[in-house]
Amino acid sequence: MTSPFLLAVEHLGVHVGARPLLRDVSFRLRAGEALTLLGESGAGKSLLAQAVMGNLPAPLRAEGRIALAGTESRAADTRARRPHWGRTLALLPQEPALALDPLMRIAPQLSETHEFVRGAAFEAAQAAALCDLETTGLASSARRYPWQLSGGMAQRAAAMVARAGGARVLLADEPTKGLDRHWRDHAVAMLQDVQGSGGCVVVITHDLRVAQALGGQLIVLRAGEVVEQGDTHAVLANPQHAFTRRLVATDPAHWPRRQAAAPGAPVLSARGLSKGFGGKPLFEDLDLQICAGDRFVVQGPSGTGKSTLGNVLLGLLPADRGVVHRAEGLGSTACQKLYQDPVASFAPRVSLARSLKDVAVRHRCPWPQVLQQLQKLGLAPDMLQRRPSQVSGGELQRIALARILAAKPALVFADEPTSRLDPVSQQEAMSVLLDALDERGAALILVTHDEDIAQAVGTSRWRLTQDGGRPDVP
Amino acid sequence: MNANLMGIPALARHASRRVAVRRRAGFAILALVAVFALAGPFAIGIDPARQTLADTLMPPGAAHWLGTDLFGRSVLARLAHAARLSLGLACVAALSAAVPGVLLGVLANWRGGRVERALVMLADAVLSVPGLLLVLLFAALAPGRYWALYIGLSLSLWVEYFRVARVASRPVLAGDAVQASRLLGFGAAYILRRHLVPALAPVLGTLLAFSTAQAVLALAALGFIGVGLQSPTPELGLMMIEFLPHYEEAPWLIAAPVSLLMLLVLGMMLLVAEEDAP
Repeated sequence: MTSPFLLAVEHLGVHVGARPLLRDVSFRLRAGEALTLLGESGAGKSLLAQAVMGNLPAPLRAEGRIALAGTESRAADTRARRPHWGRTLALLPQEPALALDPLMRIAPQLSETHEFVRGAAFEAAQAAALCDLETTGLASSARRYPWQLSGGMAQRAAAMVARAGGARVLLADEPTKGLDRHWRDHAVAMLQDVQGSGGCVVVITHDLRVAQALGGQLIVLRAGEVVEQGDTHAVLANPQHAFTRRLVATDPAHWPRRQAAAPGAPVLSARGLSKGFGGKPLFEDLDLQICAGDRFVVQGPSGTGKSTLGNVLLGLLPADRGVVHRAEGLGSTACQKLYQDPVASFAPRVSLARSLKDVAVRHRCPWPQVLQQLQKLGLAPDMLQRRPSQVSGGELQRIALARILAAKPALVFADEPTSRLDPVSQQEAMSVLLDALDERGAALILVTHDEDIAQAVGTSRWRLTQDGGRPDVP
Repeated sequence: MNANLMGIPALARHASRRVAVRRRAGFAILALVAVFALAGPFAIGIDPARQTLADTLMPPGAAHWLGTDLFGRSVLARLAHAARLSLGLACVAALSAAVPGVLLGVLANWRGGRVERALVMLADAVLSVPGLLLVLLFAALAPGRYWALYIGLSLSLWVEYFRVARVASRPVLAGDAVQASRLLGFGAAYILRRHLVPALAPVLGTLLAFSTAQAVLALAALGFIGVGLQSPTPELGLMMIEFLPHYEEAPWLIAAPVSLLMLLVLGMMLLVAEEDAP
């Protein structure tokens, strides 16, 4: 019995106890086809990948049927698909850098997969590994450990290991999360390569550009339910469901350009600023001035010192040379920071209400005023009884914003504040941030790798370059 | 995604039910021993040092539940006093090692540089001497005195607290949460109260149980080799060495202090039970 489909999923569902987490998902993929899963965080996208693999955590039950390269099995039968792992079915997990063995060099990790999963002889496996590394431009990193690789390199290495067993069905969980445009294109090319060589891919992503580049089918998930399914280009060009329309509208490429406010008095200026790490200069001889109402966007590839520049301007890191001058009359708490990972920026074992009250007391900000601010940011006060890890990333980023607003800042340094959020939360968080800053007349330093966000938000944009040279202003 | 999954109550319950049972068992055992140590001496009402040379090595009976020793002293009364002594001294020694140990560990991280190097050197110097030897040294200075044992125990125990507090507070102090608090204008006291204490409390609770158990064992070991507290003080190690010659004719005697010691240590180990590796 040969089926034309490489991967066919029928009525897949996931439950914990009586509570459904994912309901009735069906799709079929032929060789050379792609499927994109879109949706908010927590919509069940990663659960779907885990259910297909058959490695759901213990109390979760899967139902439905899964046919893989002609062999059909019940979704709940987790052992049935285990022999296929690496050979027919492979998963590229989120944060690929964490999926690699930190104590093993790259080349042996790869040749091990060739040897034990694909069954090549030792010498042949080593040769194949070197050949793989050669073609993906990682030959010079063959003897390095995973922690010595940049994010983009680790991503390519993990993808290579995932594919080394010869799996034709590749599930990729947010393969472009946190990557800049260059590496995003790289990841997409890798997925297209799987398609081109007779395989099929299932991609979980927030990024509409990835979906568009891959084409094929699209499933939009919301709270565990399929709200829209069909051809990617057709759905994205003409979304039927309100939720899909919202997803498309919140893509940064469709954001309206924000008006620049009239610049006010200077808040912060720097002269001859230089900073390097381990002998390698990140930036040299920078002169800049930030005025009230400015939205100063810092861009550049990863590892060029974008965050470092912000931290030096805020006085969190000492500069190697040069001075940062704050305007007269600004207190020590006038410059505040919003973090990339909001969960990490709160005391983890203290309730949010406690954290906010402490700040309100410290800055003599009446509590009702804080509550009013929260309401303005679209947050319910009862949420504050929870701990930081118990609210979603988008909500927590808004609470973090309320926290720094209580300190009445003149300047906010936002370090990739929305890069870990799904597009809907991203747009919400960004627009409340900008509104709040406009209202206060405060300045913003924004670090982002997203060209579209930079374009829509920035009043002035700086780009740091790889070789540590001077930034150019586009 | 994983954070979301752990929010599902069924998963959290699944992970911790067995641990909860163990902790409850440990707590129950310790509570029993503590009640015995605190209330036992009054409830039994027999002077542990009163000798009745007519009733030596009596088997367990109505008057003396655990029998009598070579001098006709009530073993139950002596055991209760010994339990009070061991538990009390060990708890005080562990606590007074914990406070300076933790504060120095945090200080080392906070100040860094020379302060940290000096403190680490001091801790390493203490570590280079086996813990029991250090207690032995102090015990030799003033044989049979409580304070000598207490100081010796505290001095050998603080290093663990120092090392653990230093390592555990490093990621907290270097983390975004503390940086955000500093930017918002909070000082050292706030960071200690809201960030460090909540982060360190669970690991210190575990350590406290371990080092109390360690102190109980050290006290018994010193008594056993005759350099700790001296007779006629009722002490677990002393009782063992006194009862050892009679193990054949009166095996219940040696069993009593050994069982109590085992229960004490078992209770503390169960109390800090951790999840098995999957």
